[in-house]
Amino acid sequence: MEKRQKQPIAKMKKGNPIRNYILFGIVLLLLPILVEMGIVQYSHITIFASILIYAIVSLGLNLLVGYSGLVSLGTAGFMGLGTYLAAYFTADLKLPFEISLIISVAIPMIIGVITGLISLRIEGYYLAIATLAISEILRKVFVELDFVTNGFSGKSANYPKLLGFFQLDRNLTYVLVVIFLVLIMIITHNFVNSYTGRALSTMRGSEAAAQAMGINIYRYRLLAFAVAVGFAALGGVLYMHFIKYTYPNTWTLAFSLNILAVIIIGGVRSIPGTIVGSFIVFGVPDLILKKLPVIGQIDGMAYIFNGVLIIVIILFYPMGLVHLWSDVKRKLMTKKRKGE
Amino acid sequence: MSILIQILLNSLETGGIYALAALGIILIFRTSNTTNYAQGTISMFNAFVATFILINTGLPAWLVAIFGAISAFVVGVLVDRIVISKAIKVNPVAKQIITLGLIMIFLGAAPMIFGTDPLQFPRFVYGSHKIAEATISYNAIVNIIVGIVIMLVLFYLLQKSKWGLSVRATASNDIVARMMGIPTPLITMGSWAIAAALGTLSALMLAPTTSVNLTMMDGVQLLALLSCVLGGFQTFYGPVIAAYIIGMASNLISFYISSIWSDSILYLLILAVILFKPNGLFGKKIVKKV
Repeated sequence: MEKRQKQPIAKMKKGNPIRNYILFGIVLLLLPILVEMGIVQYSHITIFASILIYAIVSLGLNLLVGYSGLVSLGTAGFMGLGTYLAAYFTADLKLPFEISLIISVAIPMIIGVITGLISLRIEGYYLAIATLAISEILRKVFVELDFVTNGFSGKSANYPKLLGFFQLDRNLTYVLVVIFLVLIMIITHNFVNSYTGRALSTMRGSEAAAQAMGINIYRYRLLAFAVAVGFAALGGVLYMHFIKYTYPNTWTLAFSLNILAVIIIGGVRSIPGTIVGSFIVFGVPDLILKKLPVIGQIDGMAYIFNGVLIIVIILFYPMGLVHLWSDVKRKLMTKKRKGE
Repeated sequence: MSILIQILLNSLETGGIYALAALGIILIFRTSNTTNYAQGTISMFNAFVATFILINTGLPAWLVAIFGAISAFVVGVLVDRIVISKAIKVNPVAKQIITLGLIMIFLGAAPMIFGTDPLQFPRFVYGSHKIAEATISYNAIVNIIVGIVIMLVLFYLLQKSKWGLSVRATASNDIVARMMGIPTPLITMGSWAIAAALGTLSALMLAPTTSVNLTMMDGVQLLALLSCVLGGFQTFYGPVIAAYIIGMASNLISFYISSIWSDSILYLLILAVILFKPNGLFGKKIVKKV
């Protein structure tokens, strides 16, 4: 993962990244129109929306893994908590969507910060173990507190109602997801290029050097973790209002691993890479693998596909697939030059 | 009184299961410098292999357990040769992520090969005995004794044999050990193989009480990791003792407080202990040199 660290994110994509993110969002908004015209299948909008929601969650984890070198295995737990809170506040307590959104993101963040306060004081791998434990506890809560969560039968909610009167339908909720994704991409971009982002970058290079420069490692690790948890919870809220259904067995370790696979496969410390990774991890199995004649019938193929991809990429192409295109282009250029 | 004895015996059994798994994790942590999150999944996979042999051949359970350990040994060697030995230069975080990738591979492969239905693994021996009004099954006695014997043998070998010396040397400093002529790749491979075999034994001890299924080792894996945290990552014996403590605490909590929430309470308790003893009960403070 350390090979090509001289390229900061801002320089990887020429031009104004924020403009590119907005353009990307506009392109994504074409999908409902294509569906209405009958060019794309109706079910594809659900697949796309889930991919984009998972991309939001992965952007948070990418900050954590990429910049502070910490692994969190609690993504599923915190995202699950987001879904249940959103469902509880909007369906049971009838709170407005906006207030429910804020509380449903804040509560997981508080739990995350407490977890971080305990585990981040020691070695980095303690966070992974602690978050794994918290995630298991949360899953137990989803199962056992059935007067709130309905236990194994799961909980459902509706499409969001904005400002108390504007009821969204499926397509408009998809638009909302896209808007949130673009916002999160811009926030991440600014975060990475702010003082905090530079402090995190320094820490990644050398913890001792960063400490000598007066950067409080503990505080910045905690901040990165809190952001990761916050994005996960936001993803959970959006998931709840788009898929409209949540149940405990979705939020297992396997899900957290898929999110981790997204950033490793797509590209660590790269915002476009995270999007690419999300499409590969969550899109390829649904859109391509399941359609193949023999392989598609086998259970667990998606897991093996992602697992093998993670290992192969870490061993042989540690910066992630998002750089594939520019690398191939550079190879071709040098070959051309040699040929002359 | 009889309840206390019952809890003590149960704790010895569950603690032994956690201790075997924890010993595997710490062995790999010390030699390959990575926390092996895939320990539980590899054990689960090989428990399936053993059960599969049992169902198809009808051999006795103890013989099948040995076959399971052998298959785990082979899987451990393969994992090390194909993946881990290639990742020497990879940084520690990426190495951890590799073991997470291994989880996905085994989790995907197990239902593909063995089907999605949970399988039943029998006890090693049947029947039970009463000690001062506390019932203990012969199977539990076998589990307790086998667990303790295996661990004592391993600790003896670690301290006294040439292999143990090489392992300890690799653990304390990989590069210097290699300079001294210790075949560190071989040592690392051995640890992966032994760890997988230990994990599989713990899985087969657990199997009669649950069933052989995809998630059977999730709890054990987490508690084994937590016993490494509680016991400290710096010694081999710390995690093992911590595993027995955790086994005891688990049984006490589920008897006196709540059996549903026992695991959750236990996790929180361990995290609370770390708050006061950050390096574990038996760990030393690590001094980082620049």
